[in-house]
Amino acid sequence: MNEPNHDRQLEAEERLATEELDSSDFALLNSLRTHYDQSDPVPDGLVERIQFNITLDALNTEVATLTQLDMATAGARSATTEAVRTITFTTDSLTTMVTVTPLGDGTVRVDGWAAPGAGIQVEVLLHEGPPRKTYADDDGRFVFEAVPSGLAKFALYLRRDTDFSTVLSPAIEL
Amino acid sequence: MNGGTLEDSLAARAGRLFAEYRDGDQAKMGDLVRALTPILWHTARASRLDSATAEDVLQTVWLTLVRKSDTITEPLAVLQWLVISTKREAWRVARSQTRFLPEDLDSTTSDADNGESIEDTVLRDESDNSLWRHIERLPERCRTLLRVIAFADRPDYAELAKALGMPQGSIGPTRGRCLAKLRMALAQDPTWEHR
Repeated sequence: MNEPNHDRQLEAEERLATEELDSSDFALLNSLRTHYDQSDPVPDGLVERIQFNITLDALNTEVATLTQLDMATAGARSATTEAVRTITFTTDSLTTMVTVTPLGDGTVRVDGWAAPGAGIQVEVLLHEGPPRKTYADDDGRFVFEAVPSGLAKFALYLRRDTDFSTVLSPAIEL
Repeated sequence: MNGGTLEDSLAARAGRLFAEYRDGDQAKMGDLVRALTPILWHTARASRLDSATAEDVLQTVWLTLVRKSDTITEPLAVLQWLVISTKREAWRVARSQTRFLPEDLDSTTSDADNGESIEDTVLRDESDNSLWRHIERLPERCRTLLRVIAFADRPDYAELAKALGMPQGSIGPTRGRCLAKLRMALAQDPTWEHR
């Protein structure tokens, strides 16, 4: 029925397709860009998150995520500073568990265990002052005595053959 | 640009930044990420990935570029490399996501997750709505092609079409089928006001 019409359409499309791009096409593509920019914008902060990950990768650093926090005692932290807390953070290459025991004098004792962590170097990066450094034993256990309370991060240095990499914990309230 | 010099383009700017990065200027990688994230975002999203998955795909592709940067044989073609990698990674991830069933992919509400509220949709003017309607009716490969090249510059079109797996002549220097289809549809639409 409308076969001839359909043919004419195809011919016209073919003709349009073989012409050189003109200013109307560029205007149309501009409209498309505006349209997609508005309807599906690049998420806020995505560029920065990519740049951040590239920087960490260049430093061979993985940022661990908190996977377990003893919520009952953590929530009651300000009221009962004596509470013992256990915190677990993990990356693809390492799982670390630390138990924080307040010593009652504004410092805490940290008992940690990293797997696989035999002999690795562990640092606790403090809010103020130089980092404390120790080494895990053959079972991956490590201890920090009398660490000042406050926000801190753990840095664990892994050695695979000749490669070094770093696992960094999120900030943790000690 | 002055006559005699090559017309500047997204691919050329990207190539220069990447070459400078490989020559030791680390900061240029940050500039490259800023310049190319929009086009790669739309490459991933055109493969119908949800936002979070598209973001993962981009992270993977950029880390792969940094880790392999020494082995990339044509630093000046880094834009094409990234577009091809994004498309492949998007396909790989989409295939492994069993929670996306084929019927989901065929659904016409595939753009429900485009961050747009109902108010935004209503507020968009009518002629933009008619443009959107005609884009939606294009074959998917055309939609992808036009969406991606809309974020590039004229001299990039042909190479980008190739990177997206489209046949030669899909766009640039001639208009190609996809844009011709869209032009035809708009020409026959009385609500489309050419701007």
